[in-house]
Amino acid sequence: MRWRTGFSAVLLAAGLWQLGGAGWLLVKAHLAQYLVSNAWEERIRTGVRAKPWPWADTWPVARLRLPGEKALTVLSGSSGQALAFGPGLVEGSWLPGQGGEPRTTVIAAHRDTHFGSLAQLKPGTPIALQDSSGRWRSFRVVGARVVDSDREQLPIMAGPGLLLVTCYPFKAVDAGGPLRYLVYAEPLPGELAIRL
Amino acid sequence: MNRALFSGQRIPREYVLLPTNEYYRRRYRSSRRGRWWLLFAAALVVFTAAMGVRAEQAVDLNNTESGDLLFTGVGQGAYTPALHLASRARIGVRGLLAKVQLQQEFANQSDDWQEAIYVLPLPEQAAVTGLEIQIGERCIVGKVRERAKAAKIYKAALDAGKRAALLEQQRPNLFTSKVANIAPGETVRVQIRYRQSVNYESGTFGLHLPTTLTPRYIPGEIKLPGKATPSAGRKEEAGAELMPDSSGWALPTDQVADAHKITPPMQPAAELSAIGSHRITIAVELEGGLPLAEISSPYHDLDLNKRADGRYSIKLRKGDAAMDRDFILRWRPRPASMPRAALFTEQVAAVEGGESPGTYLQLLLIPPESRRATRQLPREVVYVIDTSGSMGGNSIRQARESLQLALSRLQPSDRFNVIEFNSRARAFFPRPVAADPANIQRVRTQLVGLQASGGTEMAAALRLALSQQMPGVDELVHQVVFITDGAFGNERALFELMTRLLGDARLFTVGIGSAPNRHFMRKAAQFGRGASVTIGDLGEVQERMQALFAKLENPLATELELQWPKGLKVEAYPRRIPDLYDGEPLQLVARVEGDLDGEIQLRGRLAGVQFVQKLALGKGGSATDTGIGSVWARTKIASLRDQQLQFGEQSDPGQALRGQILRLALEHQLASPYTSFVAVEERVVRPQGQGLSKSPLPNAVARGQVLQRQTYPRTAAGLSAQLLAAAGLLGLAGLLRWGRATHALRRCLRRLVPDVRRARSWQERQLGQVQ
Repeated sequence: MRWRTGFSAVLLAAGLWQLGGAGWLLVKAHLAQYLVSNAWEERIRTGVRAKPWPWADTWPVARLRLPGEKALTVLSGSSGQALAFGPGLVEGSWLPGQGGEPRTTVIAAHRDTHFGSLAQLKPGTPIALQDSSGRWRSFRVVGARVVDSDREQLPIMAGPGLLLVTCYPFKAVDAGGPLRYLVYAEPLPGELAIRL
Repeated sequence: MNRALFSGQRIPREYVLLPTNEYYRRRYRSSRRGRWWLLFAAALVVFTAAMGVRAEQAVDLNNTESGDLLFTGVGQGAYTPALHLASRARIGVRGLLAKVQLQQEFANQSDDWQEAIYVLPLPEQAAVTGLEIQIGERCIVGKVRERAKAAKIYKAALDAGKRAALLEQQRPNLFTSKVANIAPGETVRVQIRYRQSVNYESGTFGLHLPTTLTPRYIPGEIKLPGKATPSAGRKEEAGAELMPDSSGWALPTDQVADAHKITPPMQPAAELSAIGSHRITIAVELEGGLPLAEISSPYHDLDLNKRADGRYSIKLRKGDAAMDRDFILRWRPRPASMPRAALFTEQVAAVEGGESPGTYLQLLLIPPESRRATRQLPREVVYVIDTSGSMGGNSIRQARESLQLALSRLQPSDRFNVIEFNSRARAFFPRPVAADPANIQRVRTQLVGLQASGGTEMAAALRLALSQQMPGVDELVHQVVFITDGAFGNERALFELMTRLLGDARLFTVGIGSAPNRHFMRKAAQFGRGASVTIGDLGEVQERMQALFAKLENPLATELELQWPKGLKVEAYPRRIPDLYDGEPLQLVARVEGDLDGEIQLRGRLAGVQFVQKLALGKGGSATDTGIGSVWARTKIASLRDQQLQFGEQSDPGQALRGQILRLALEHQLASPYTSFVAVEERVVRPQGQGLSKSPLPNAVARGQVLQRQTYPRTAAGLSAQLLAAAGLLGLAGLLRWGRATHALRRCLRRLVPDVRRARSWQERQLGQVQ
């Protein structure tokens, strides 16, 4: 009976460790958004790029509002570190109001933290994106598509547009799968002045 | 038999053994193992279900903006292909004809059954005459079928688990090779045979073999074939393949309906070489029939071996080479034995399918050189330089260098302009200007800053370039020089535009890079009544541009006419003999019925002087073995395709031409836009239960070019995996100590939750107070 108690304790510890890990991910993902959004407010106010915490290797670049949800602050870069804290603006893509030749804006996020609700976006759904000048630009969902990232490349086009990327399938256990879920939204001509 | 059971006799209570508490406890305990199993099975089911969820099908995407794909070089995410590729080319050259056996080995390195999909570049004039699958000693010979039918046969074999191969033509120089059901660890060899005529120019014979392609830019708006407007049921070409079947990185657009078939994934050659894939060995047997002065290859080191019978065996010095650049072989006869004409024939017996006996001819005639110094006419030249993303790396340097060189050749009496194009076209001057030093200097300084980025909107550049010059206004010779890698998918639309807008201008192309689109270069020069040169290396710029200048500046042989002996029924291609530039011969294939006797006369005008060139038919022809017939049929198909361009493919005359091409290709067993090769093994090899993975093979990034890649980020934190693991582990721990855990839990709960049985309700308390 002794080994049982011991084994059980080990299992319990491992289980709690895993649970803690998952919890930590969630806490990081949601708490960091507060810090990041503070940094974003500061950026809009002062116009100076602000890091959410002194040792951060990423900074907020935009704010994204999906219908029925709290606004998410988008960080620069789509590395694992950035995506742990919020959606990331993929390198090589473009932000409205950034200047230069317009291109597709590509924002990626984890399907299990920030972009879990992407599946609910239907064609016609409005999406809003705030640039660093504080102006909100609206987009409208055109469609969604599943791609195999081993085969296809990211379609960054010359022309404004918003592409949201997350992993697919949404409820899969396997975290390293090749499938991605893409939602494409087209810019609406009139920029709506939404203030949150 | 125990009667008591039936009689319903009463059994005294004390004789009956009822289960005791102890019995229930034991039974309960023994079923614990069962519960363990239950838990394990449930966990397994949940896990596999979660893992197994895969996308069934792409959802719709009916957008978007103009399809300018912009990629930045992100060096991460190199992935190892499931299939490895090795190529072996055996080339036999005899006279003006090259016969090539291209063997491709697909080695399955994975643990799954695989379908290989490979975009195969071939020479733009190749007449593909055979396809075979080789598995060990066995050999399955492929047959030519109508395109849709071939695809259907292949699909059926693929689903049934039989080995099969399919070779489809996407462009004259781009094919898709598919091999179905390659077993884990197995190697399947596919052999492709083709024939082509040898090129001759300025005293040098030449032959090339492409090994990769430059990624093509896909213009137009994305349009999925499923939603294409069904035009009178004629959508087998575009609509047959649904999007989930796509193996390319681009989506079909309104301008390039087969974009997904011509845009294979690309991978750096170094990465592929590191895993031993994408290597080619080349062996050439050269029987020129003439004493040779030189054999050379600009991009490969060769090992030459002259044999006793005058033939040469040529091999790559290092054994094999990376498939990242075109292989080019050039050989030059000694000046004393330089031919003025050559004639090869192939006799064909009557075929009971309707073909009457006749002779196929392959003819080379070199017009006389103009010895007189001619007065050079002033020219108006528009240079168009491609600065799109695919020109990145060495290509843009070669292009800049060639243009600098071209500018230095301009005479003060000439006029010129420069157009730079990527996503849009920009002219340096609004109209062509005088080639004075100030203007040239102005252009030179601007050229230095040219960078390669953006799309390749060739149509815009073409329109701008051809609208620059006013025909008939002045005495100027109008020339347009395109400096490009030809990396766009809408070639035919451009040819159509060219013929419409050309006017009296002549169009020249300078093909740039290690894997230029030679089909475009050649055809553009043909439709533009110009000529084409290719530059594959910075060191070649000087030499190749000199060849182009010789064509631009020297008089050309015009009003060419070929006279055949009377009584012969001749079908010769090219139909209309083009004007010949300096150093160019007349190369012709013909089918002749009747006795080969008498002589052919080529009449023309060169630098204002009439000339006649004669060639005796009867004895001059040295009979080669078979092959000219295929080249003739292939050239005829190209000619019919050109005619089709005027009407459009879907129009009635276009469809009539389609029928003609189809008949010709089936008769000569050739691959064409409407026919494909398909080979199927009868045996079923893949067991029913086993799945098949589809593996598009990458092509190597051409040497000196930059990989244009944008990879997807990882977008799953693995939260559900962690939660599942936590649940499993905690569950197990709990099960091991279930009794104690429930006990502890109960105790804990008892302390926290008040006992309902002892509690008095609020009403009771109220009542109690009242009393």
